[in-house]
Amino acid sequence: MSIIEARGLGRRYGKRWALEDCTLSLPEGRLVALIGPNGAGKSTLLNMIVGLTAPTAGELTVLDGHPAGSPAALDGIAFVAQDMPLYRNLTVADMVHLTRNLNVSFDTAAANRRLADLGIDPKQKAGKLSGGQQAQLALSLALARQPRLLVLDEPTAPLDPLARHDFMATVMTAMAEDGISVILSSHLLAELEKVADHLVLIADGRVRVDGPVDELIDAHRLVTAPRGALPQGCDVIESSGSHQLVRLAAPLPAALPSRPVGIEELTLAYFRQGTLIGAAS
Amino acid sequence: MTTLTAAPGVGLRPVRWSRLGWVTWRRYRFTLAAVVLVLAALSLELVLSGQHLRSAYDAVKACTPAASPRCRFLDESFHNTYGGGGFLAPVLLLLPGILGAFAGAPLVAKELETGTFRFAWTQGAGRMRWAVSLLLPAGLVLALLLAALGRLVAWHDQPLADAGIQSRLEPVTFSTSGVAVAAWALLGFALGAFAGVAWRRVLPGVASAFGAWFGLAFLATRVRGHYLAPLRTTSMQLSPRNLSVDEWWTKGGARVPSTQIDATLRSLGAEVSPHGVKVHVVPNSGSVDPIQYLLDHGYRQVTTYQPASRYWTLQWIETGWLVGLSVLLLGAAFWLLRRRAA
Repeated sequence: MSIIEARGLGRRYGKRWALEDCTLSLPEGRLVALIGPNGAGKSTLLNMIVGLTAPTAGELTVLDGHPAGSPAALDGIAFVAQDMPLYRNLTVADMVHLTRNLNVSFDTAAANRRLADLGIDPKQKAGKLSGGQQAQLALSLALARQPRLLVLDEPTAPLDPLARHDFMATVMTAMAEDGISVILSSHLLAELEKVADHLVLIADGRVRVDGPVDELIDAHRLVTAPRGALPQGCDVIESSGSHQLVRLAAPLPAALPSRPVGIEELTLAYFRQGTLIGAAS
Repeated sequence: MTTLTAAPGVGLRPVRWSRLGWVTWRRYRFTLAAVVLVLAALSLELVLSGQHLRSAYDAVKACTPAASPRCRFLDESFHNTYGGGGFLAPVLLLLPGILGAFAGAPLVAKELETGTFRFAWTQGAGRMRWAVSLLLPAGLVLALLLAALGRLVAWHDQPLADAGIQSRLEPVTFSTSGVAVAAWALLGFALGAFAGVAWRRVLPGVASAFGAWFGLAFLATRVRGHYLAPLRTTSMQLSPRNLSVDEWWTKGGARVPSTQIDATLRSLGAEVSPHGVKVHVVPNSGSVDPIQYLLDHGYRQVTTYQPASRYWTLQWIETGWLVGLSVLLLGAAFWLLRRRAA
């Protein structure tokens, strides 16, 4: 089952391609992390997935073949946009009621329960809530829609570490309890290491790496040896004198000293490399 | 590549309009209350000044004998007091455009400006249903409120038309009463909605919408006399209840250039000053009446005009093109909305 299917997807603004030739197949029930520097095209891809932006080129289907932005796609995907846009002069209770009225399926009781657990006063104006509470309100409204896919665009960027932790805890609980899929964009690499199942790396409008996190980790190693000492078929991602970050085609000879690399290290190496790498797997 | 179950939207019922209507109501009830309050204040002023106007006019009508100096003085002071239209006239003239632009432009533009459209357009209802449930009720309510105000304006101005002070076809009454006032408000709203979506900003949206509305309102004062072929008369005593469109002099059935008429009048010692379409002729003391002189010498003044009885026909013609233009603008706004990328 794939939750997102993109083929040759692209979006152009004027003469600039914000995203180009993107081919992806993202699995259901996972937390997909969309990583890239600012302006890489992450938001463009997410906006196309949630139907806010129409593709300029290629095809994009969601939730088993529904065109992005179609009624079924809108119904099954909940989106928490960057900076959590909410109607600031409405109360929390009004925001819950309003979101219920804008959707076919909405679990009001669940939303109210979640907000009560978080200690958010229903009579409070949405604009008066703290940053962390606004994020939790936006997330609670999205989850109460009982979506198949939850799309989060840089949700934790404006939050302090504690609020960030609480936010991610809510997301992980919803994934475990309701089996929803999550796509999350971020440039905070460290926090994703623990939660992401699947990684999509975007830079300069192109997908550079796409694959399950464990496979990507297994496929890369940091070798402590000069470049010439590497066996045939090794793809050198980054080279710094005596250290080579390589993508393995075959197991390394046991004699070569090497260690596994983390997501952060791997990601940075790909971004620094700046050349197009074919999708993994 | 896709299976049958993947057909988009199968078995999915859309969000009910009543629910979407609740959203619009909840978000804009205070705005609506503010608009109603402004209109109520204006209405109160219209009722009070309308009662003054009526009692003054009743006094003029009740005065006998009509030719007595006292009655002439009453009549003259009635004309002087109420001839100018009062301070409400410019307010009422601009009100449909101001309210329309201020109501129409921010509805979508504010969402685009603050980013809340990312929330609103990704809900299950989708952006088109959301936009329809927002724009249509707002536009209709505004038009209905202005139509109600227009009835009051028509009542208020009735003695002015009866007394021959001001034709109901003059812009001051015509575009602020009847059905046209609602259509002018709808046009302001549609211009606002379109400009708001096009600019994606509230202030440029409001400003350009009002500017365009003002231009069209000015244009309408120029073309209104030509909605229907004007009637023509050679009577010099055209009732001021009608709207005069144009006038010129003829001799023997041929049109005489106004320069020639002016020269003739000057040779008689009259001062000629162009003032709108009318030429005021001020006879010098002791000389012959220059107008009578022209008539005696075979000149005839031709006046084209719209009779007061055409008020409703002209109202519906104006309403027709205004509503047509508004529908086009709203359609363009929806088209832009559908294409708008985040």
